[in-house]
Amino acid sequence: MKALDLLASGIHDAKNQLFSAESLIAAAEAQHGIDLGEALFAIQSAAGRLNQTLAAYRQLRHEIRIALIPTVIDDLCEEVALDQRHHLAAGNIRLELDCHAPDAWPVDRELLTDMLNNAVQNAARHARSCVRLSCGEDAEGLWLCVEDDGPGFAHIPPSSGTGLLLAASLAEMHKRHGRQGRLELANDSALGGARFTLRLP
Amino acid sequence: MNNRFTSKRFLVIDDQPTARDALRTIAQTVGAFSVEFATNYQDALYRIRNNTPDIILCDYMLGDGRSGQQLLEELRRFELLADETVFMMVTGEQSYEQVVSAVELVPDDYIIKPFSPDKLLLRLERILAKKAFFAAYYREKRRQEFERALAILEAKRDSEAARPYRFEILRQRAEIMLAKGDSQAAETAYRAILEAGEFPWARAGVARSLEHQDRLTEARAEIDRVVASTPHYFDAADVKARICMAQGEPEEAQKVLDEVAKKTPRNYLRKRLLAEAATLNGDTATAQAAMADVLANDTMPGAIQPEDKLALARSQVNSGDKISAERTLVGMRESEVQNLTLDGQASFAALMTIAAPERGKAKFAGLRPALISAALDNTARLDVTYAALGLGDHELADHQAHYLMASDEAKKIFGSARKLYALHGREKDFREIQKQVALRRIHHD
Repeated sequence: MKALDLLASGIHDAKNQLFSAESLIAAAEAQHGIDLGEALFAIQSAAGRLNQTLAAYRQLRHEIRIALIPTVIDDLCEEVALDQRHHLAAGNIRLELDCHAPDAWPVDRELLTDMLNNAVQNAARHARSCVRLSCGEDAEGLWLCVEDDGPGFAHIPPSSGTGLLLAASLAEMHKRHGRQGRLELANDSALGGARFTLRLP
Repeated sequence: MNNRFTSKRFLVIDDQPTARDALRTIAQTVGAFSVEFATNYQDALYRIRNNTPDIILCDYMLGDGRSGQQLLEELRRFELLADETVFMMVTGEQSYEQVVSAVELVPDDYIIKPFSPDKLLLRLERILAKKAFFAAYYREKRRQEFERALAILEAKRDSEAARPYRFEILRQRAEIMLAKGDSQAAETAYRAILEAGEFPWARAGVARSLEHQDRLTEARAEIDRVVASTPHYFDAADVKARICMAQGEPEEAQKVLDEVAKKTPRNYLRKRLLAEAATLNGDTATAQAAMADVLANDTMPGAIQPEDKLALARSQVNSGDKISAERTLVGMRESEVQNLTLDGQASFAALMTIAAPERGKAKFAGLRPALISAALDNTARLDVTYAALGLGDHELADHQAHYLMASDEAKKIFGSARKLYALHGREKDFREIQKQVALRRIHHD
């Protein structure tokens, strides 16, 4: 068995167990009318971390491949908001959603979802009160943006962060008609803080 | 609780008890009242056939060499799953995304564990919206009213409501064009999809369209690309094998199928294809093993056809095991034999004549006038040629050989036909037939 297969199968099992825990918590919520949103969020975050670890490992080994799946981008952002909103609210951070990409686009849906979840969590760590997730379509293609009202990136490009490195390489792997995607990091958000923008052709 | 799902019948398919419970709990949390379980592949087939659920949540790994993807493909091919039924694949493997992005037959959606009830709810709502959008189209498609189905897609294509479904519309359009036999339009449609992204299923679609146009070299180049870049897209291997056989390269066809069949040991359509390639390739042992496996283990109701038994007998005859071939043929039910098409009857009589002359000869002689006058398919013609050569009936054998060499599939069956003539020391006569057919073709052109 290859090291990658071993790792992947371990992660697969762990995620199945997380799912069992998630279903029990959801059932308890429904049965007792209580809010265990933070427990659910912890499970989602753990799964997200496992995905990211596997993706980072694949990238190191140059074995990462993207899988193009027609995906409605507004829907994808809605799901990221669903995963994150509760947790952000618990820390008194508001998550704004401003989506204008109702078309299906050929993207790697799961990787993109993980990257956006990660970006929103990063932004929330530095935000004072607000994080905004927005998306749209223009002549260049598709853009997805996560902004916050915090102090902004200390360095651009930032010196560390597997999440950001992965996001950049994910963007570059989306290619079409001779053009490729890219990650833009800046401190010019209208909210006053950092701006993380994925541009995909 | 969501009332919309209260009245829906859910079927959860998973071989792991804890995972099954988790899925049921989640389904109940989104409001499902009726949740049935299937614990394995056969059980799932049985339940879906007998009492089709509204919403299927199926785990990707079903154990015992089966996957949810195989179940989905088999359900669609045997028309057991209406377009209206929701099929959602559930998996802990992010790598399932690689499968979905490649293959032609996809579930309505897939969801990766762990997921919250809210997320499942959101996904199911969207699928129901999609089903509503395509409802009129599904009806016409089911009635095989292809022109009307296409007209519905065309009319909706540029509407605002169609924006989330633009790829689905393009894909359905191309499939319908291929189904109604307009392979040039299908090729154009698949190429238009490739403009938007390098989807393996679309490139395989181009290859299939070219195959139907008999542009085999181009088809081969396209499908080679797909197989090389997406090794987990098993159906592409089938397409490649068919093209290789048509090109007269059964060794390559068998090589591709051998490899994929090892990974999908319980895909019996593929096993049949493997048997066909091995037969053309002269690998009688593989052909025989594959057909024996099909007959013993393809438990899909109605899947085993009399043609499968003839294929097994053919592989037994080819490997010189006449006793087994006779047993296979004698084992066919009386009604089965009587209901055979003329092609089937020709093969049956021919194979029996080869396996047990005293048993088959009379029937074969009775059919002879029909074998001379009727248009038979090439498999039957090869069987008849084999039997006629054995009986020394040169007229009948040469008659079939003429038609075989003049057919569209001449490249495919050339090697087999030549071998039969060589077996009876008539290579020279075969070359003569080949020459005559070629001359006639030149005169026609």
